[in-house]
Amino acid sequence: MSAPGALRRVAPWLLLLLAAGVWLGPDYALGQATMVATYAIAGLGVVIVVGQAGQVTFGQGALVALGAYAEAVLAGRGVPVILSLPAAVALGAAGGALASLPAWRLGGLYFGMSTLAFALLVEEALVRWEGLTRGAAGLATPALALAGVALDAPLAQALASLATLLCALFFCRRLLASRLGRAWRAVREDEAAAEACGIDAARAKTLAFAVGGALSGLAGALYAHWIGFISPEQFGLMFSFELLMLAFIGGARRLAGAAWGALVIVAIPQGIAVLRDLLPGDWARAAGLEAMLFGAVIVAVVLLRPGGIAGRR
Amino acid sequence: MRLLSTLLAAVLATVPLSAAATPGVSEREIVVGTISDLSGPTALLGVPVRDGMLMRFEEANAAGGVHGRSVRLAVEDAGYDPKRGILAARKLIQRDRAFAFIANLGTPVVMATMPMVLDAGRLHLFPFSPHEATYSPLHPLKFQVFAPYQEYMEAGTRHMVGRGGYARSCLLYQDDDYGLEVMKGVESGLAQLGKALVTKTSYKRGATDLSSQVARLRAADCDLVVLATVVRETVAAVSEARRIGWEVDMLVTASGYSAQTHELGGAAVEGLYGISVLPHPYAEGASPALAGWIERYRSRFGAAPNVWSVMGYTLADLFVRAAEAAGPTLTAERFAAALEALRSPPDFFGSPQYRFDPTDHLGNRHGRLAQIRNGRWELLTDYLE
Amino acid sequence: MLALLQVLASGIAIGCVYGLVALSFVLIYKATETVSFMQGELLMLGAFAALGLHLGAGLPLALAAAGAVASMALLGAGLERAVLRRAIGQPHLVAVLLTFGLGLMVRGGIAAVPVATQGMYRLPFADGSVQLGPLTLASGHLLVIGATVILAGLLALFFRFTRAGLALRACSEDARVAALMGVPVDRMHTLAWSLGAALAAVAGLLLAPITFVHLNMGLVALKAFPAAVLGGLTSLPGALAGGVFLGVVEAVAGLLLPEGVKDAVPYALLLVVLLLFPGGFAGGGARSGR
Repeated sequence: MSAPGALRRVAPWLLLLLAAGVWLGPDYALGQATMVATYAIAGLGVVIVVGQAGQVTFGQGALVALGAYAEAVLAGRGVPVILSLPAAVALGAAGGALASLPAWRLGGLYFGMSTLAFALLVEEALVRWEGLTRGAAGLATPALALAGVALDAPLAQALASLATLLCALFFCRRLLASRLGRAWRAVREDEAAAEACGIDAARAKTLAFAVGGALSGLAGALYAHWIGFISPEQFGLMFSFELLMLAFIGGARRLAGAAWGALVIVAIPQGIAVLRDLLPGDWARAAGLEAMLFGAVIVAVVLLRPGGIAGRR
Repeated sequence: MRLLSTLLAAVLATVPLSAAATPGVSEREIVVGTISDLSGPTALLGVPVRDGMLMRFEEANAAGGVHGRSVRLAVEDAGYDPKRGILAARKLIQRDRAFAFIANLGTPVVMATMPMVLDAGRLHLFPFSPHEATYSPLHPLKFQVFAPYQEYMEAGTRHMVGRGGYARSCLLYQDDDYGLEVMKGVESGLAQLGKALVTKTSYKRGATDLSSQVARLRAADCDLVVLATVVRETVAAVSEARRIGWEVDMLVTASGYSAQTHELGGAAVEGLYGISVLPHPYAEGASPALAGWIERYRSRFGAAPNVWSVMGYTLADLFVRAAEAAGPTLTAERFAAALEALRSPPDFFGSPQYRFDPTDHLGNRHGRLAQIRNGRWELLTDYLE
Repeated sequence: MLALLQVLASGIAIGCVYGLVALSFVLIYKATETVSFMQGELLMLGAFAALGLHLGAGLPLALAAAGAVASMALLGAGLERAVLRRAIGQPHLVAVLLTFGLGLMVRGGIAAVPVATQGMYRLPFADGSVQLGPLTLASGHLLVIGATVILAGLLALFFRFTRAGLALRACSEDARVAALMGVPVDRMHTLAWSLGAALAAVAGLLLAPITFVHLNMGLVALKAFPAAVLGGLTSLPGALAGGVFLGVVEAVAGLLLPEGVKDAVPYALLLVVLLLFPGGFAGGGARSGR
């Protein structure tokens, strides 16, 4: 990637950020950027699993939950982030690998359903293991502290999550160019053909889930710090679906899709909320207006850009 | 790159660096923010609360406003999602420059947004969350009127069990923060009488059928069942018990104290006990003042008010009263001081008296015992100490 | 023992609702290969439509119910023509997201009607209870069971003896061959969606006496996925049986297993069944995946 090329890619993002900063105030824009970047990291996990390895997953939210809880529990006990973050990533990866095991026997939608069951079981475990997770009452997470300095300013949070996102993107680029990345794409295109070429499809899938889970765990750890309070219901089916939508709307075949998708999923409801304020009279009061418009955006994107926003070159 | 830096400079130039005046308070207007749930799992609560608040603020504005300023309610729908809550809070703080946040809804949303609201020096008033952190530890900007379920369920259980002489108390609870709060209250209420819960059983929010839970409670031979349920599950649990011929006494929390409970439950829920923190606004037998209020609400919002509408109205009323008392120069500190000195007068709803003081920002700890008789809630006791 | 029977009866009734929603899901999936994540919203919309026709427009209840089911059938057909048709032949996820987005729109649309967010409503039928020997059954539960049996019978007749039913089956077996045989595949897809939406509406009506009509009543559809998978995803009787099985397991687990286990049981069971019978019960394990 050449320098002007990189600039051209980053420029639209900066402009969007600037526009949001002018319109809604800098803290809001930075908060938005923080959430977009954090969601994008989790979305990268889905892009790897769905877009690269061609598997269906309805349970990515549970892997984010594992990372979030690992981080919240460890940080709450004073474990420094240098240790807790890797633990969150490792737990996410382990969860991903575990969730992928049914793929040895199941394919397609059946496997998708097994990930759904896995996610609901994880949520249930988080509710029931009260000694560790404080169950449904939720768990407070202290601010992220780097070398003794708490990152609680919006700017610091945005920079930390953007930097993490860039590292994750870089890592994924390397991975996709590797032997493993090629194996994933081969499995996606035709599992039988891939097997015939000597690719261990089951292993490739498990690794895809482990990598996807690690990224989701990483995002979860950041999410726990930014939100400051996690509870099992935050990571329910709706969240898994948001991530799935994110990857798909952005374009699951390309890594940049995760970032575009995160922008749509996080920013569109906010944009709608802003536009709603401009509506006259009682229209603005209609309770379901935002959900309705958000649904319409999803339908429109799926119909008009079936390959996702980043789908076409 | 030069373009970008120019843009950046332009942006920085337009950002108001600091305003000398109190944020959200101008010559003509006071902006009050609320992060509600208008489309998510608790929309049935969020919408009437918002409408009640709107109604009170509109009345205040029609009467010339608060010291000449009209009150504007800026509503954000977070749908019970803390991520949307955080962004909504930032927007309300920075763009709308909300002077205060009122009645934010849902524990995850409240817990995620409260720190940044307080950091920005804005008031955090009366959130809908049973979490203790909403008023404790004491913070000059945090105020709460909803006693955590724990507090009044403790008193309610103690009163019921002490008076009724029940020997085997049991609990049916929703397995979330709400259910856990109630459980703590019931357990400590029983402990004060030297008793303990005989058995407890839970359900998930959205559960369709409670027959196995009720059968379980019956098998444990309970003689009092405390219900930490919301309206629908209350009706389902009581109807199921009556259907299988189990005439056990049941006591539901304030979340089940709703006219919907007997409208939907009909004859089956006759005799159900409940804890009320605010009386339901029944049109039948209402005082002229209440009847007029109900009519105004109905014509404004196209639906009959319920106990949550009253709640919203009352919260907005507290805000207006405190803002009046704070005087023409409105700041967060003056407002907080005014609220600490405020003693809410009796109203036509029959609300409890809300009172704060400089060492205690929880305005009410008490509920009263009620029972469904002849298809409506009748209050049995005064506010229980 | 009596308690067990009582709980079992409730479990069967609730299982029938799961089964009906699963049926609507499988019907659509089988005929059009699209995975619908909006059955819960359709169910809710159907119940609200009946409510609106009954309370709002003042129609008698039976007429309102029929009107609601008919209008949902029309809506299903309309959606297929306008939007969902585009998902055919695409990866599953396209349909998942399309239906999810449409579901959000339906939910938002209902929430935008002020009275819909002011409370829950009930449709005044099947309120009482029926004494059967020592058992006392809710008439709502009996109605669900009865209606499910009748609907299953009608559907069986439809698929066996009517031209449209046979065509729909042919289309589900192999759309290309069916097209070659002169079956209007396009119209069959529309038919499948309209049947699926109508079935969801019926499930919503039957659920009304049990959970009342409100914005979140569609949550029950979450249980319909496991039910459909248990039944093998492509078998209509399997979906129904899967639903009933799930309802019964939930109820019995709630009564007999230690507290806290019952919520995990359906999903644990789903995992086990998937691993033992990769094609669902009805798939018999012969077809592994697709």
